[in-house]
Amino acid sequence: MPSLTPPSGGTQRERKRGKMRKSRLILAPAAMLAASALILSGCAAEETTETTESAETESSSDDTTTEEAPAETFEVYALFPQGNDQAYGSTLIEPLQANGAELGINFTLSNSGYDATKQLAECEIAVAAQPDGIMLWPAVGSAVRPCLVAADNAGIPVWVINTDVGPADAPLTYGYSGPDTYGQGVASAELMCEAVDGEEVGIIQVNGAAGNGTAIDRDNGFTDHVEANCPNVTILAEQNADWTPAGAKQVAADMISAEGIENIGGIYAADDSMVDGAVQALEDLGEDASDYFITGIGNTKLGNPLVKEGKMYGTVFQSSVWEGENAPEYMHRVLTGEIAKGDRVTAYMPSVKVTAENADDPEVAPEW
Amino acid sequence: MDKKTTLTQQMAVAQEPEKAIVERKTGALSWVAQNGIFIFLAVLILVASFAVNGFASLENLTSILNRAAPIGIVAVGMTYVVISGNYLDLSVVAQVATAGVIFLAVGNEYGLFVAALAAFAASLVYGIVNGVAVGYFKANAVIVTLATTYIGLGLLRFFSGGSIFFGNPDGPMEQFGQAKLGPIPASTFVLLAITIVLSILLTRTNFGFLVKSFGVNEKATRLAGVNTDRVIVGAFLVTAFAATLAGFVFAAYSNTAVSTMSQGFDFRALAAIIIGGTSVFGGRGSVLRTLLGVMFVSVLNNILVLVGISFGYQQLALGIIILLAVTLDVLSRKLGEK
Amino acid sequence: MTETIQLGGAKETGFFPRLRTIIGRRTEGRGVILLLVILAVLAFTQPLVFTALPVTIGRIALIGIVALGLTAVILMGELDLSVASTLAASGVVVAIIPDLRIAIPAALLMGIVVGIINAFFIAIVGIASFIASLGMLFALSGLAFVLSNEVPVSIANQDAGLAFGQPLFGPVTPRILLFFLVFIAIQLFVTKVKAGREFFAVGGNRQAAYDSGIPVKRRIFTGFIISGFVSALAGVIYTLELTVATPTAGSTVLLASFAAAIIGGNYLKGGRGSIIGTLIGASSLGVLQVALFLSGVQVPVQNTLIGAILLIAVITDPSSLRAISARVRATLPDRTKVEAQ
Repeated sequence: MPSLTPPSGGTQRERKRGKMRKSRLILAPAAMLAASALILSGCAAEETTETTESAETESSSDDTTTEEAPAETFEVYALFPQGNDQAYGSTLIEPLQANGAELGINFTLSNSGYDATKQLAECEIAVAAQPDGIMLWPAVGSAVRPCLVAADNAGIPVWVINTDVGPADAPLTYGYSGPDTYGQGVASAELMCEAVDGEEVGIIQVNGAAGNGTAIDRDNGFTDHVEANCPNVTILAEQNADWTPAGAKQVAADMISAEGIENIGGIYAADDSMVDGAVQALEDLGEDASDYFITGIGNTKLGNPLVKEGKMYGTVFQSSVWEGENAPEYMHRVLTGEIAKGDRVTAYMPSVKVTAENADDPEVAPEW
Repeated sequence: MDKKTTLTQQMAVAQEPEKAIVERKTGALSWVAQNGIFIFLAVLILVASFAVNGFASLENLTSILNRAAPIGIVAVGMTYVVISGNYLDLSVVAQVATAGVIFLAVGNEYGLFVAALAAFAASLVYGIVNGVAVGYFKANAVIVTLATTYIGLGLLRFFSGGSIFFGNPDGPMEQFGQAKLGPIPASTFVLLAITIVLSILLTRTNFGFLVKSFGVNEKATRLAGVNTDRVIVGAFLVTAFAATLAGFVFAAYSNTAVSTMSQGFDFRALAAIIIGGTSVFGGRGSVLRTLLGVMFVSVLNNILVLVGISFGYQQLALGIIILLAVTLDVLSRKLGEK
Repeated sequence: MTETIQLGGAKETGFFPRLRTIIGRRTEGRGVILLLVILAVLAFTQPLVFTALPVTIGRIALIGIVALGLTAVILMGELDLSVASTLAASGVVVAIIPDLRIAIPAALLMGIVVGIINAFFIAIVGIASFIASLGMLFALSGLAFVLSNEVPVSIANQDAGLAFGQPLFGPVTPRILLFFLVFIAIQLFVTKVKAGREFFAVGGNRQAAYDSGIPVKRRIFTGFIISGFVSALAGVIYTLELTVATPTAGSTVLLASFAAAIIGGNYLKGGRGSIIGTLIGASSLGVLQVALFLSGVQVPVQNTLIGAILLIAVITDPSSLRAISARVRATLPDRTKVEAQ
């Protein structure tokens, strides 16, 4: 590599002197930027102190038990894999915090972005902070044991939400509240079998993000039920999509090309947003989605209208509000000793099936 | 010293090896070296047409083109950053999602025109922040764009709450998403148009010449008195505008937008650019080649889904193809020199 | 690039001038300032970070270990984008082989093999490291999914995994111990061993390194093997601690380790930087993340803040400030162009 750079002007010494002058010049902006960084992080820290202070004052004033205010204030670390960055998370956190405030639970939220190792690290920090309790929404359901053991050793009760832990890890927790993820897959399969009604039908299946726990559980629930109960439904092809309508539309279009539209009688997608994408793939081919047996999970703001329009046969309601409201209730019962260690409570969100018959009911109004 | 003459001399020196290679290469091998990606794409399509069920159909052509458009527009724009020798622009992930959400969220309320203004204003901010930090401050592009990704996605998620935004039924977004000429979706014409525009900009204008020369030899270009900083800002602006356009096309495709919609666009676009044959050393490459790279990746991806290959193998295949394509490119060049 | 590390240089006499040259030659300045600022703010607002020191160090180790290996490559002006995928793939290897005595060596061996493959494409075939390792990024991530059958795989010996997460002595868990061992090993290698010191020359001016008889290709192999091995080690640690291997593991590792290396003052085009710098960079990021977590600030806000700090850190690089001050002075009429250059 020949160097094309001619030597820059000036002798060695001159350049050195120049450099030194510059190095002093650097100091001013550097100090300014350091100060701005300080202010930035100061802002964040200020917010923090506010929350902790308010919690402290509350707890000190509430030492004597009164009827009106919550008897005690609890600090709970909520270790979640999503939060205000996703629709389900943000509509869950709102009632969680509201109900928590009523019950005297102050939540510190985290978001590991579905990175199990990051969540474990957050769990370690949470345990070190010695809160009254930990609420765990596992990033990966099978990868929580070290966190549970650490909390158990420190005597901190753990309540699990959204994705339950395996049977071996269950004794280390006080219980679970949230959707029955496997059961949702089963419910969607029941809807599919009901819709198909004994006909011989080939369907394509769109799963959630590859490797994601919810995606795997729903896939298993759906596949197991279909295999066992309606062998007339054949899954022709399946692909992962990233939970988004656009991603689902792409893989659905490709799977339809591969199998031939004439061989396809239905579509199952692990989430209503992806059903929306798959329906679009059908419509782009000039097909009428209502001629197909389509089921999903979620009853979301995208999914519910599809049911009403008859494009989707049915979906399974997953209520972020139910989950957000109930989680603090159970956490409170654990913290007050009502649920003791050893009598593990499992509270499944009812997997309400939503079809054209009940899609307009206020109980199944979409939340996210 | 006359600046222009110097720069032209520098460029001449810099481009000499390439010219020499071209002249010395003879016969089939040189043809392979020059047209490798084109041949691979042709072979892939030919084989798939016979061997893969459902590949050779108009519906599937639409599907491939739909897949190619958003990532292609991003890749074509990002080619500028790559050619200028600045690795890549990670923040396209944030840019595409921001634009998509703005087009639907703002578009639903205030109409497409206001949304377009807002989206392009956002891309202007991205382009200028990235470009100034990399160009004027000489900061590293990888970290600068990583930082703007964090900031951009953070802000987007803070304000959007992570919701899925969907456009009004039969609104302008949906109409664009549905529009087709025969089997060819409207987004393909956007991809072609931007490819042509950016190709002309790169090969026929002074700005394009400077982007290339900057990639070949940063110092030489600077010593020739060119305002290189402004050139870098320009390269990042081109990328940002393209990413915004991609956000529009991608949001229109499913008439929905969400902050996670463009996950993986950064490295996937880079993969397409590299497979197309643009050198990440900078200076060498073309927008048209990137387009071929994008088509190759889209066709490959489509084939893998058609034959029911799962996600893991798709990733594996993409990785191996990158290595193969680049190895062949390098080897044929080396042999050509002898 | 002609800007290389100043080996030797003019001798300064007197204590202060010499100190000044020593400081001037160091690359860790920004990292140190950032760390000090963060620590100072936290001392007042989040003392918990200090009382929970072992956990904080554990977090630093998590972020930093891959960054250490990566730095070895960066010093040579090369990039390894495949570190996170190597971590995921080797982590899966640990879980799918039932006997840990075979599984761990196999996973580490895999890291070495990955390093060799990377280096082969870079040094022998002649592909830019950025591209070759991009290929490996996709290929290994795909391999992690293929080997795990796309689902999380639990390790057979759960107790061994749990024991691995426990402190060995005091607050030191195996992760922390391994992190510091890796740090010391690479630090000694690049400062005391001839082959390691040559990394700087390879990164500073490759042609000069060739001319002075440094086996550049062999050094590239060494560097990528270090990077691959350390990533695989991180994969082993991740899997053992979680007792489960997830094919999506390390999704945040690649960019975080780059950030740690850059904040620590390592120059991505090679030749300048230090392992200590990476340690400082990882510490800044780790402490920051722990503090933001404890503060309960919304995650999108956290990310925005981290991004802003990254941006500030990267544009306050001494060479960035020099570039910008040169620009400013170039626009002033009373200065000549030559000086501004």
